[in-house]
Amino acid sequence: MKPFRRKGDEYVARLDSAEAGIVGLLLDQLEQLLAGEEDDVEGDEVIARLLPEGHRGDPRLAADYRELTRASLVAGKSDDLATVRATLPPDGGVLRLDVDQATAWLRTTNDLRLALGTRLGISAESEPPEELVSEADQQLAVYYWLTAVQGSLVDALAAGRAGRRS
Amino acid sequence: MLKLYDVAGPLAPTRSPETVVEEENDLDRPWVTIVWDDPVNLMTYVTFVFQELFGYDEAKATELMLQVHHEGRAVVSSGPRERMEHDTSRLHAYGLWASYQKDA
Repeated sequence: MKPFRRKGDEYVARLDSAEAGIVGLLLDQLEQLLAGEEDDVEGDEVIARLLPEGHRGDPRLAADYRELTRASLVAGKSDDLATVRATLPPDGGVLRLDVDQATAWLRTTNDLRLALGTRLGISAESEPPEELVSEADQQLAVYYWLTAVQGSLVDALAAGRAGRRS
Repeated sequence: MLKLYDVAGPLAPTRSPETVVEEENDLDRPWVTIVWDDPVNLMTYVTFVFQELFGYDEAKATELMLQVHHEGRAVVSSGPRERMEHDTSRLHAYGLWASYQKDA
């Protein structure tokens, strides 16, 4: 992987073939989860983190909030996901994104990290795996790889915004 | 306590006394949007989102992000309930852990 950087108005990175494949698989899983009927995914810890309660402590306000926002939040996340899928080179290669596409990547990589982080029980004390022995080590490695991808994208977008303002 | 909502200013000259009293009681305890600490969201990302959604400058956004990180939560906006619902949903669109409530 060559991390994101800003090149003029574009945000450019390079993914190798295995990395693009992993992102594709994670997108499939996220898409499936977001497409789930509300009743089917109720109680799922990842859905609870991606679409949290709007109000804590008042079930009526929490239900109001869910009714008011859930459909549009799911639609927004699904649109972002579709943008990421459309711009992901399936066999790896160079990614060139405009600012809107880059922002979709920013939100979707965050959702993927939230999903993986929740499943893996990431805490403030978690650290990248030292060796890749178990399945859990592999997943943890993917989580930290996504962290690096997203971190480079935040920095590039923040620099881009500073550039647009000046 | 952060003061993001100016409760005095614009209301005083235009409202009748009765309305002002009523409004002031309500505005004494506005609704607030709170962002809670979580172990996944990057500090740089949280700062970026605060700037993006609320137009805070980098210093203000960083201050709020550090408050979330060190104190476990921060009030990021305050005002009428509908606006706090809206702010909460915009934060959820970015994956931040947010909720709204009547100011304590």
